[in-house]
Amino acid sequence: MGVTKEQVESTLKSKLNPSHLEIIDTSGGCGASFAIEIVSEQFEGKRLLERHRLVNAALEEEMKQIHALSIKKAVTPGQWKQQLESEKSTSAA
Amino acid sequence: MSTQSVFSSSPRIAPPYSSSPIKITAAPPLLNSGSRSLSFPLRSTVPALSPDLKNTLDKVVTSQKVVLFMKGTKDFPQCGFSNTVVQILNSLNVPYETINILENEVLRQGLKEYSNWPTFPQLYIDGEFYGGCDITVEAYKSGELQELLERAMCP
Repeated sequence: MGVTKEQVESTLKSKLNPSHLEIIDTSGGCGASFAIEIVSEQFEGKRLLERHRLVNAALEEEMKQIHALSIKKAVTPGQWKQQLESEKSTSAA
Repeated sequence: MSTQSVFSSSPRIAPPYSSSPIKITAAPPLLNSGSRSLSFPLRSTVPALSPDLKNTLDKVVTSQKVVLFMKGTKDFPQCGFSNTVVQILNSLNVPYETINILENEVLRQGLKEYSNWPTFPQLYIDGEFYGGCDITVEAYKSGELQELLERAMCP
């Protein structure tokens, strides 16, 4: 039961072509709970709800075995760059 | 996940139950905010989202400005994600209705289809699906949620 982090990763990579992707297995090993951060051009011009729907749809098969999927970030490459820069400036301040 | 064939081949189930299709008449108990007990059958041989259930849900999501389908109740959330959304709604001081999807498997499965969303909690604002826990948290942090709720509360 459960899916691996690698499975989630390869599915998201092939379907959403992310420029940045981070997956954390939050299940403690059983593969039923993940937190993800994803940056993709496909999110351009889409509301947060639509972005999450894209991720959910990409993981449709995996979702049958995942109990909890927490999408921490679903942003465009432009937003991602901005976020990195603002984090840098706040930590420097 | 299919429960399709669980009962279909069993000869032991006697009429009247096996002779007529299961009719879901859940509108009154679902809309009755006093009692949270729903009268759906626990398992069903009909597809997850029947036309009756869809009709009922259309009414439920518009019965209040804010409706939260969650695991547990607002006084006793039974999942951390549901609890998070309850805390956010409490802190924004808006009236809202919660429906415990753990009490009813048909409702739970049907809602996934109805909202086109695989998990719970599911938040509805003004009759429209707003999002799950992550979206609600993000919108709360950005102030967008408060803005939207203020607008929704003004008639």
